Amino acid sequence: MIRVEGVTKLFGPDPASVLARLKAGQGKAELQAESGHVLGVNDVSFALEPGEVFVIMGLSGSGKSTLIRCINRLIEPTAGRIFLEDPETGSEEITGASPERLRRLRRRHLSMVFQHFALFPHRSVRSNVAYGLEIQGVATDERLRRAQEVLAMVGLDDWGDAYPQTLSGGMQQRVGLARALATEARVLLMDEPFSALDPLIKVTMQQELKKLQARLGRTILFITHDLDEAMRLGDRIAIMEDGAIVQLGTPEQILVNPRTDYVARFVEHADPTAVITAGTIALPLGDRAFTPLGERDGLRLLGHRDHPTLCLGVDDAGRLRGAWRDERPLPLGELGRTLETPPPGHPRDDLLLSCSRDEVLRRVLRGRLHSSLPLLVTEEERLAGLIDEPQLIHGILEKRGPRVEEATA
Amino acid sequence: MNELMEFLRLLITDPFGLFEALPMRQWITEAVNWVVANFRGFFRGYVSPPVQSVMQTTQWALGGIPPGLFLVGIFLIGWRAASWRVGLFAFAAFALVGVMGVWDALIVTLSLVATAVLFCVAIGLPLGILCSRSDRFATLMRPLLDIMQTTPPFVYLVPAVMLFSIGNVPGLIATIIFAMPPMIRLTNLGIRQVSQEYIEAAEAFGSTPRQILWKVQFPLALPTLMAGLNQTIMLSLSMVVIAAIIGAGGLGLEVYAGLERLNIGQAFVGGIGIVLLAMVLDRITQGLGDKAPGRAPDERP
Repeated sequence: MIRVEGVTKLFGPDPASVLARLKAGQGKAELQAESGHVLGVNDVSFALEPGEVFVIMGLSGSGKSTLIRCINRLIEPTAGRIFLEDPETGSEEITGASPERLRRLRRRHLSMVFQHFALFPHRSVRSNVAYGLEIQGVATDERLRRAQEVLAMVGLDDWGDAYPQTLSGGMQQRVGLARALATEARVLLMDEPFSALDPLIKVTMQQELKKLQARLGRTILFITHDLDEAMRLGDRIAIMEDGAIVQLGTPEQILVNPRTDYVARFVEHADPTAVITAGTIALPLGDRAFTPLGERDGLRLLGHRDHPTLCLGVDDAGRLRGAWRDERPLPLGELGRTLETPPPGHPRDDLLLSCSRDEVLRRVLRGRLHSSLPLLVTEEERLAGLIDEPQLIHGILEKRGPRVEEATA
Repeated sequence: MNELMEFLRLLITDPFGLFEALPMRQWITEAVNWVVANFRGFFRGYVSPPVQSVMQTTQWALGGIPPGLFLVGIFLIGWRAASWRVGLFAFAAFALVGVMGVWDALIVTLSLVATAVLFCVAIGLPLGILCSRSDRFATLMRPLLDIMQTTPPFVYLVPAVMLFSIGNVPGLIATIIFAMPPMIRLTNLGIRQVSQEYIEAAEAFGSTPRQILWKVQFPLALPTLMAGLNQTIMLSLSMVVIAAIIGAGGLGLEVYAGLERLNIGQAFVGGIGIVLLAMVLDRITQGLGDKAPGRAPDERP
């Protein structure tokens, strides 16, 4: 949806001249000391897929707010190219667009939500929401009607006539969000939209944004300095340091495999149970701990070194068809369905649960209240691995999967 | 050697005596005479008529309102613009002026002020907006505004009379020159003070510079603009006595005529009228400023 290629922003009297030094490998501090130019964004490239929430995370001063302003050119990038790629209208370069075309792009395709709301204090809530339509020349009745629709979407139907400053912070940002949604731009640029809100309100707003996004499917570029927020909202996360992206990946990829110390320090205190998935920490079937136990009734039988009483039966397609403990058949359950029932007073030792590899650890943990037996992990219905107590603990504490010993035989 | 010492001594004690005085007076007199000789036709033909006709129309309109109706009207205006207290005060103040027997002079003065303020806004507002959009223009304007505000009006009264002849017009021109600077300054200031975040938001939604000016900057600058208007009105009122010297009428003339004839009572009646008019106009415009929509959240009562 948005493609960013090698975007660099230098602040200072003559940025173009300093570009060569940057290319030659001078760092941010060096540049500043020798040329007086401040490096805002350093050779950043990424692409936003349609409908995804792409989070850019970094500490203050890492260049994330500068970067998002380069996208709609509130700040002019020093170098690099940015494209808007609409599946319907094709590709259009944002960098280098004439003022006229840039305004059209901003009106139709890129809308923005600001950290401190930036609602116009002299306009009512409804008129704020209608602003984007107003400057496009949409007739008064039509734009106020649409503003009212969007206000209903964010739960502020009754507040259209109020003035922004009479609203609480959370409500003000709903107005900010409504204003950005009203133009029906496909791309939403959100610059730390929830950072100025109270923690509790913040979580509510995140949940509501997720709900809205599930319904509207906009493409969102979301800036934050809050890792939990990034993990909660982001389909993908880019972590910025000193103007450059140091790691880009899914929340789980970043949590499980931080590429630099900076990222590692960032994710150190993140809650892994909401992000890491069962597939990551499960011991895969290929590990040496699994041993073939022969065949029975056309099923391949598998045992596990640490659970000698357990025996799993798998059919030709790799699907789990049965399980036995001490030769007695065990009832099989699906994690998701089991979690809908209240847990028994004591975990059962006669129920074998399985789940898809996408389930997060929080749910796996909750499953431990239902069953004390290891959890089986499936991938497209085929048995893929197993999680027992040590793996679960290891996964939560170390935020990574087990070391796999390839079976030799 | 002695001559050199003497020269140095003079350089300290009387440096200006060493040279011939610059014939500045003569130059200016000649320049003014030249302007009067060559441009009087222009000023009388093109500058005078619009000012004159606005003045006459205003005076005709205000004078046409029966005083009783006028009092009710001023009460309503004060009430709507500020509060019922201000409305009541305006009513009482104008009634007092009428009772003192100078109602007609009040109407003339009000017309003078209204005309001057109209021209101050019509010229000052666009200039103020230009100042806010161009640093270079603002820098150019600043000394000009200083000159307009600080040159004693008596200095340019006579050239004004030479250009426009006596009457309301030269007085009005002098008033406009003197009262316009705050309109320009505060328009410039008000627009520049609008927080960058609102401008950024307006830009992000694709506003044109003109849309930003009229939909965001101007309404948000309105309280400051109203302060400028208030100052302009007050300065115009302070000129009415001076304008009377060169033939303008109204309360200023009461004061001036009273002084000339040593009729202290007449002068005071005119003076009290001016003060009351000033207070009424001040309260009303301040009320408008407080109610302007562009107030920042923490300023709103």
